[in-house]
Formats: sequence, structure tokens, C-alpha cells
Amino acid sequence: MDSDTWEIIHIPDKPTFSPEHQPTLKVFASVIKPKFANTIVRQLCKIAPLEDLRHVKRVRKKLLPDHGEPQLTVILCLAPEDNDHLNDMPPDVLKLVDPYELSPFITQVCKYAAVSKEEWEEQCKIWPTSFHPPTYNIDGIGGFSEEDTQSICKFMRVAIDLAVSGHKPLVNAAVIVDPSVRKIIASETDQAYPSSAPHDMTSAETISNHCQSIDRMSNVSSEIWLNGILEKLNGSFSTVACLNPWHWSLQSHDSDSQWHPLTHASMVAIDSSSARDRYLFPNSTDSFIPDHSQPSDADCPAKKQKTNSHSPEVLNGNKEALRDPSIEKPYLCTGYDIFLVWEPCTMCAMALVHQRIKRIFYAFPNPTAGGLGSVYRLQGEKSLNHHYAVFRVLLPGGAHNALHQHLKHVTAES
Amino acid sequence: MALVKEDRCEESHKYMSLALHQAKLALEALEVPVGCVILEEGNIIASGRNRTNETRNATRHAEMEAIDELIGQWQKDRLSPSQVAEKFSKCVLYVTCEPCIMCASALSFLGIKEVYYGCGNDKFGGCGSILSLHLGSSQTEEGQGGKGYKCKGGIMADEAVSLFKCFYEQGNPNAPKPHRPVVQRERGLSLLETNMV
Repeated sequence: MDSDTWEIIHIPDKPTFSPEHQPTLKVFASVIKPKFANTIVRQLCKIAPLEDLRHVKRVRKKLLPDHGEPQLTVILCLAPEDNDHLNDMPPDVLKLVDPYELSPFITQVCKYAAVSKEEWEEQCKIWPTSFHPPTYNIDGIGGFSEEDTQSICKFMRVAIDLAVSGHKPLVNAAVIVDPSVRKIIASETDQAYPSSAPHDMTSAETISNHCQSIDRMSNVSSEIWLNGILEKLNGSFSTVACLNPWHWSLQSHDSDSQWHPLTHASMVAIDSSSARDRYLFPNSTDSFIPDHSQPSDADCPAKKQKTNSHSPEVLNGNKEALRDPSIEKPYLCTGYDIFLVWEPCTMCAMALVHQRIKRIFYAFPNPTAGGLGSVYRLQGEKSLNHHYAVFRVLLPGGAHNALHQHLKHVTAES
Repeated sequence: MALVKEDRCEESHKYMSLALHQAKLALEALEVPVGCVILEEGNIIASGRNRTNETRNATRHAEMEAIDELIGQWQKDRLSPSQVAEKFSKCVLYVTCEPCIMCASALSFLGIKEVYYGCGNDKFGGCGSILSLHLGSSQTEEGQGGKGYKCKGGIMADEAVSLFKCFYEQGNPNAPKPHRPVVQRERGLSLLETNMV
């Protein structure tokens, strides 16, 4: 691996295991005569289907050096995890033992489907499985193009610069981007603590200038940038809201500054993107309001036609002119990416589910309250009504390692 | 003893009715009908209802609305962060539906004292249904301070569910079209039936 380049790694729905240490399950298996194979498999699929083990091949075919014909072994059914008694087979399966001359034994199969070729190769050493490379329709899980990688690194640098500049204490930063046009929708920092100075409104223009200046940077200046960042990141992490969500009350207090314990960077950025939505598309809720002329349910309170107090008609002309006709009205943050310096806490991670973010990129993990793999893993909660893809962006030159050590040290102390 | 219990029950119904009133206001405004009230020493000090459609911000849940009302007031009163934390540690929340993972986390961060909810939330619930954030941080290292709070559900759950039924019958006007057509009775109902405690 080239340590001078940025690296983007997918954080999957389930915890990752090293390919050699994947969880396994016990099963009953038996060598079978090839002439019985079809009949046995057909019967087993009926009486002992392996519902949660669709990735496991029912039959193992092995070529033995001294035999002409391959040896077939079939999985009969799941075995209890706590004992090895062959009698624990279900009666229906036991009935097959004599007629088909089975000699059951216990073996292991991998519990989860492989997510990589490496995992799959290790699994097949235990018992053959099938492997389907991820077919999510979210860009990036199967790898990024050179162009996408550059764009992702650029926006991550925007987020990191926001987190370290203009704030004495370190804070988290969130940059919401529309990847279809590579445009920043909102960029904000934590405002949770009294000591984190109120954030200057970063206008879209300064941000885009910033992006251009990053584009112009040579490799040398990129190294200088990285060193500068590392130095700044060496400070205290105690004011990074998602890392210390319970500690807001311990902060020193300046009575003039605004603060709010829940205004973590992601929450502020979501608020800012919805404000943008309301500004650019003042009337759009109207078109979605259903026809309420039909009589309403007797149990329900009378339904009122929504009055649109927040978007006076007078302003519409101006806003229409401001609006780029090519911009489609967003539904929340559907299709958007968010770039965060630190992995979001559970509150922010769930807020990003609610707001329908498509992809999350973060640079550093959050071992105290992280919601995307460190403590909880919301991308793997099947019951949620929306799922985003999560990626970690590793800074070049092993910077992430140095910081990770620092973070461990800091969190152990606090 | 039994008498005390009955009093308690009557009291919790009184506060939940106020939360349900907030939920009805949300329904009238074509919002997902969830409402809440926050009490301090038996007095209602804040109320809130869902405003996700109006604000186009899907995080504007009833709980967040009520919390913001309180923090705004306390900042006006020039309370320090530690005084605000002290206040929250005496607050009790009544909400018509189990707080979602986001709100349940927020309530833990704030260090709220107790939470009483109506129906469970088997899709997003953060107080036992999907995650159990009311138990505090799973990491119990010294000083990491994941606070937990007392939590009890099932208070006037039927009333909360029937409001949801009304909402899904009328359709969510802001949902994107392919996802939830305005009238889709069966799906809305079955979704809610599984939501019941």
C-alpha cells in the first residue's frame, strides 16, 4: 500500500473478521453415494432447509487422489452448538440414515456470507460457499474511479480545514455535498460548547474558492498541509461534540456566546441544508398536498389545508430568478454525501438516516460514542427505513495511525 | 400502596393526554402525529410536536422541538451549562411514541431524569426496540459518562397508534411519490399494527 496516497475504505453493515477467523456454525454432514445425490438433496431441501445459510453449498465435491470418482459430502442439517450427540438430528433426517447408507459426522461451515474474495477463499477451506461481490446500487462500494477519489479527498480536506481553522478548540466539521454536480450544499462545525466560537457563515463562494485552491495544490504543499493539520490535531479533543457528547456541561462558560449541547456539526449542517431547501423551493410543499375534499375519517380531527406562512408569494419572483433551473427540488438530502472529520455519534448517525443521506465519509473513528462501527453500527440495522453507505477516508502518510494513537491516549485520560 | 399506584396512573394519563394533544396538532398540520411535554417538579415547562414536513428537516421531532424551547429559555435566563445540566436532571418527558435512536441518544446526552412513552417504535426505537440507549453508554470506562435514564412505555398506546392510523390514511404529503402513494391504506395499517407494543 502506498502510504503517500489517500485511501477510502468501506465500513460494511456487519463487523469485519479477519479472513482466518470468521464465525462458524456446526452442522451434521455425511459422505453420500453419487447415485443417491439428487434424491437426498431434494429431500433435505424439503425437511431441513438451510434458510440462513444460503451462501453455504449443500454438497461438497472432493477429488481424492486414489479414487477415480469424486467424493460427495452433503450437509444434513444444523447441529446443536453445545453437544456432539448424533441423536439430536431431527427424526425426519434420521430416517434417511439407513436407506441411503449415511454415516453422519459433525463439521463446521461459515456463518456469514463472504464480503471479499479473501474471505471467500478462507471459507472454502472449511466448507465450500458461494461468493457474490456486493451488488449495492450505491456508488463506491465496489471501488472509486480516480476522479471520484480526487473529489472525495478534496471535500474531506474542506471538512478538516473547517474543523481546525478559525476555532481555538478543535471541533468536528460536516460538509454536505451533492455528488452529481460536486457542489457543497452546507458546511458547518460543532456549536455545542460555549467555548467554540460562533461559526462565521461560510458562503458557498468562499468554499468553492477554497476547493479551487486545493485543486491547485502540488504534492509538496499537500505534505505541508498535512503536517500543519497534524500539528493542530494534536490539541485536546474534549470540545469535539460527537466524541464527548455527555461532557457539554463541564465546559467553561462565556455568557455572551451561543451554545446548545445538541448542535453537533451534522445536526447544524442538516438544519442548514433544509434552510437552503426552503429558500430555493419556497412553495414546493403545495404540490404534494393531497386533495382533502373527500370527507375525513370520523375519528380524526378535522384536517386543515396547510397555510404556507413561511413563503410569502411576493418573494417568489426573486427566488425563481436565483434558482438554477437545472437544480431539482431535493427530498431532504436524498442522493447527497456528507464529509465528517470524526465518525458521528448515535444521535448524528440516526439524524443522517432520517435526512436520507446517501453516503457518509469520515476520517477518524469515535471510540466513545460512534454510531457507524465503533460502538454501534446503524448501517447494519435492518429495521431502519433508509440505509446509507459508510466509508472511512485514511489520510496519507500514516497520519491516521498517529492520530489514532493520540486519540486512544486522550480518551483513556478523560 | 395500591392507592399511590392509582394516583400515579392517573397522573401519567393526565400528562400523556397533553402529549397526545400536541400529536393531534401535528396531525392537523399534516405532520407525522407525535407530541410530547416536559415536566419539572410536576409542572409542564415545555411542549413540542413533529415539524419535519414544515421545516423539511427530518430531525425536527417533537422531543427536539421541546428541548430547543427549554434551552432557548434557559439561555435567555443566562443559565450556565452546568445549571442547564442540573435542570435537565430533574426533567421528565412524556412522549406519545418511543423516542427514536436520535432522540434517545439526545436525551442521554442531556441527562434527562425519566421518559414515559405511548406506543413502541419497532423501526427506529432507541429505548429498547432497536437499541437501548436509555441504559447509557455501553462503555463504562471511568469518566466516559454515558448517562442512562428511567424509561417506561405503553401509556395510552392505543390513542397514539390511532393517530398514526389517521395519518397514514390521509398520506404523508411530503413523502416522495414512488415510496408512499397518498392513499395506500393496507400498507399504512400493517406498518402500524407491527408498531404496537
